[in-house]
Amino acid sequence: MKLPLSWIKEYVNINVSADEYRSRMILAGDGIEGVEEPGAEISNVVVGRIESIRKHANSDHLLICRVDVGGEALQIVTGAPNVFEGAYVPVALHGAFLPGGKSIKRGKLRGEVSEGMLCSGSELNVPDALYPGAGVDGILIFNEPHPPGADVRPILGIDDTIIDFEVLANRPDCLCAWGIARESAAVLGTEFRKPEIKVKTSGGNIGDFASVDVRDGALCPRYTACAINNARVAPSPMWMRKALNGAGMRSINNIVDITNYVMLETGHPMHAFDLDKVRGRRIIVRRASPGETLRTLDEKERTLTCDMLVIADAEGATGLAGIMGGEESEITQDTKVILFECAAFDRTSVRLTSRALGMRTESSGRFEKGVTPETVRTAMLRACQLVNLLNAGDVVGESPDNGMMIDLYPNPSLPAAVRADCARIRERIGVDVPDERMAEILRALHFGVSLDGGALTAMPPAFRQDVDQEADLAEEIIRLYGYHHLKPTLPIGAGIPGKRSERMRMTDSVKAFLRAWGGNETLAFSFVSPASLEKLGLPAGDLRLSPVAIRNPLGEDTKVMRTTLVPSMLDALALNQSRKNEACLLFETGAAFETIRGGAQKKEGELPWERQTLCIGAYGASVDFYEMRGIVEALLKSFGIAAAIERGADAYYHPGRSARLTASGQSVAQLGEAHPDTAERFRIEGRVYIAEIDLDALAALAVPAPPIRELPRHPAVSRDVALTMDESVPLGGVRDAIENACGPLLESASLFDVYRGARLGGKKSAAFSLRFRAPDRTLTDEEVDKIFERMLSSVEEQYGAEIRK
Amino acid sequence: MREQIEKLRQEARRAADEANTPAELENARVHYFGKKGSFTLLLRGLGQMPPAERPQAGQRINEARAETELWFDRRAADLKIQERALKLKSETIDVTEPRGARKLGSLHPISIVLNDLVDLFVGMGYETVEGPEIEYDRYNFELLNQPKNHPARDAQDTFYIEDNIVLRSHTSPVQARVMLERKPPIRIISAGRVYRADEVDATHSPVFHQLEGLYIDKRVRMSDLKGTLDIFAKRLYGADAATRFRPSFFPFTEPSAEVDLTCPACKGGGCRVCKGTGWIELLGSGMVNPKVLEMCGIDSSVYSGFAFGIGLERVAMRRYGVSDMRWLFEGDARLLSQFR
Repeated sequence: MKLPLSWIKEYVNINVSADEYRSRMILAGDGIEGVEEPGAEISNVVVGRIESIRKHANSDHLLICRVDVGGEALQIVTGAPNVFEGAYVPVALHGAFLPGGKSIKRGKLRGEVSEGMLCSGSELNVPDALYPGAGVDGILIFNEPHPPGADVRPILGIDDTIIDFEVLANRPDCLCAWGIARESAAVLGTEFRKPEIKVKTSGGNIGDFASVDVRDGALCPRYTACAINNARVAPSPMWMRKALNGAGMRSINNIVDITNYVMLETGHPMHAFDLDKVRGRRIIVRRASPGETLRTLDEKERTLTCDMLVIADAEGATGLAGIMGGEESEITQDTKVILFECAAFDRTSVRLTSRALGMRTESSGRFEKGVTPETVRTAMLRACQLVNLLNAGDVVGESPDNGMMIDLYPNPSLPAAVRADCARIRERIGVDVPDERMAEILRALHFGVSLDGGALTAMPPAFRQDVDQEADLAEEIIRLYGYHHLKPTLPIGAGIPGKRSERMRMTDSVKAFLRAWGGNETLAFSFVSPASLEKLGLPAGDLRLSPVAIRNPLGEDTKVMRTTLVPSMLDALALNQSRKNEACLLFETGAAFETIRGGAQKKEGELPWERQTLCIGAYGASVDFYEMRGIVEALLKSFGIAAAIERGADAYYHPGRSARLTASGQSVAQLGEAHPDTAERFRIEGRVYIAEIDLDALAALAVPAPPIRELPRHPAVSRDVALTMDESVPLGGVRDAIENACGPLLESASLFDVYRGARLGGKKSAAFSLRFRAPDRTLTDEEVDKIFERMLSSVEEQYGAEIRK
Repeated sequence: MREQIEKLRQEARRAADEANTPAELENARVHYFGKKGSFTLLLRGLGQMPPAERPQAGQRINEARAETELWFDRRAADLKIQERALKLKSETIDVTEPRGARKLGSLHPISIVLNDLVDLFVGMGYETVEGPEIEYDRYNFELLNQPKNHPARDAQDTFYIEDNIVLRSHTSPVQARVMLERKPPIRIISAGRVYRADEVDATHSPVFHQLEGLYIDKRVRMSDLKGTLDIFAKRLYGADAATRFRPSFFPFTEPSAEVDLTCPACKGGGCRVCKGTGWIELLGSGMVNPKVLEMCGIDSSVYSGFAFGIGLERVAMRRYGVSDMRWLFEGDARLLSQFR
């Protein structure tokens, strides 16, 4: 929230430099995001009085003015036709600077010397709302005479320092000049000077002007109203326009400005109705009836629902409570009688209504954060005092306490005293703040404090709604005592050994494995567009096509939670291809979110399932199906899992170049070449390989390393064999058959060559190297021969494989 | 006889010296010491000598033979050395030839930073705990003192799945789960993905990572939080790193503190990185709000604790000079390969 420093200084003495003020406020928790001095960029711009004007001989639109700038008269050329003799204008002298770093130099315009420049409002960054007339198309003409040569900045209201406060969510009381001044006083140890509020009434009784009926006391705990008769709607004085402008609000007219000024000063949003437009001069605070409509001040037609609170008159809604008034009862130049409203509305109700209608205003923002009913009356009195001050109308009433204000506040909400123990507070913060100092700090924050031994009772001021327990007092005390008093200590509790969870240890070792293999870890968003799941080409009904949907996505790309990591991986591969990276091996671990598991559908109100998954993606000259399978098999092996390979995987894999790995009947992984159709939909060129490993299954199936096998003492016998067989015979099966037929004396059977040639007549030849060994003796050739024969007949029988002749 | 022996010895030594390869030497060896070698023949010739002279002559021949054989052995060793040297020379390759390089893989910078932090806190007795990324409103907000329609909820624009199910907006719901399940003392850290409805730009991402710490025991003080985070800052940013606590507000802690770190770029002098303040925001922290302890079934009159949460992206970006957060989620191998 922005506030001019001069406004804050009306209520508190700031006895330190701007830099020190800023840093002390920040260290007490009153954040300051920025400090601006809008006028600081402007120099050497002074008041000038135009003495005479003549036409430029060589131009039909330039004028040559003689301008008195105090003590001397300068010749200045201007192109603006709105100047006249006797006008007071801002003059940028030779060597002046304007906003944006623009510098002004003496020069010649079509042969005539110009010793400076006459300025427009926009050249000085002065809006019309700040200085009436500044918005004119041409040179800014001052509305009244000023001494030539005087600095223009104070006149135009741009001589202030604007501070942008970052108010914490629990401190709505600081969303106003009084709040900031109160904090400043507590932080700096100076005094908060609340203005004395006196209202001069002009007789009469508010009851004769209007009536108020609050029908929903829960949503409107307090409602006050005052009437201003004989309204004199006019522009506000400079000091008020300047204050509003500094706070980022536009000046409208004195009445509306008073309501905004009071809001910025006291934190209480207000509203002003043209009472003649309030039908029946009757205010009814009630919930909207279904389908009721209202045209709000921003000239939009709003359709309301019955949970929205409205300010209605005898016939219908005339304002949205706490958010925006209605166009119908807007203050105009012709307004004669005004009704001021200052109320407290339920913050949740305002929040929901403002959300539902997409309307966020200065007022709704304050009500959402919480406005204290207790201080409503003060704000209303302040508004009436400003009416007196600006002579904006007559405040109806005999006296402030007699006939001036309707104040409906049936259930006063007073803060409750908080009891605390000084020793416990010290223990909580670990800083030795003396009891008396604690009391002092709380008193400086306007708490009523009593101290009895170590027992502290603190009554929060009405404007503090955030303090209701000892810990809250501890925070107030330490933040003002100073967080820098916290000396580093370490907890005194018993030592407990720390550890990484099993799941983290497993993911860590998976990542280390892939890193050693040359993989680069990636991270992608957990949500995807529904289209990217569809691009996979899965059959209808696949559970991955039923993702968890986000209700309020940022856009198409964040609509659903990914059910598989594959689309993100394919996107990453495509990106690398498009950037001409020749090869890459990427991996990502993360959750896949499922709404269906084991045939059961997630029910409303239940969390979806999260499956921890590893996805690997690769392309490039050195990668093929077997490379990818090798990586995955080795990874599984590192967890003690020997997986069986089955042909085929999900539809987004190449049907002939994909496999599923299973262990103990459970699927652990699938891998292979991406299906060319899928790849094409992801704008991938050429062959890319992907693998998905179910880390939950991996964790379930992992086995610790068994006790070692002792190293053999007897020599091995080696035999090589080349088998010819049909092309379609799976060599994994042949290897398994060899192993089964040979039995326990076979130590290893490894494929070392596959040959395909014309001489084989369409068949293939696979060469295996077999090694036999017995643990307790040296094998004889006869023994091995017998086993070998048995193996040959077995593979012939199972696969029609014959020894190659 | 004596001259004969001497002559043979001279001759054999010369033959050994003249042999240029082990094969030539072997030939010479056979020539002198073989079954029909010169020394053998000489010994055989002893028979024609008078018996009285035989022993002495025999001894002389054997001595000469042994001595010469030693000569041959030395020569053999020399030749072997020579030959090995030649072989080594001939086998010389260009060791600078650029080929055969193994590609080095990499962990994601978030993982690297996370590993460092986990190591640090595990060493201090914390245990890592995981929780779901799609979470009940109750754990993400309500138990953390953010009831429905609490204005602080607006600060973190949350993605909703259902009325009561959200994408977790911080890692703190894991704290709530742990407090409900376990009895103090509790020392846990939890890290992972969190979600907020922030549009993607150079410094924002709707998905990012947090690490959260929670310490609950009897008589835990706010100064213990300061001590813990000081160690953390020094381990992460060097011995001269200091922290500054600044009052702040989080619904689940009271008192709360935003923790700043001396700007690593200027060491506190003020520069562009820290916008002239000498400090950069490091993390949010505070003493666990007694209301949160009570809601999670922990007696706040007996136990107290602290909690802290840090965004990992910012730490990683600062460490590696990554100026655009989007790069971290893009997956370009050229960028990823630069991390170690």
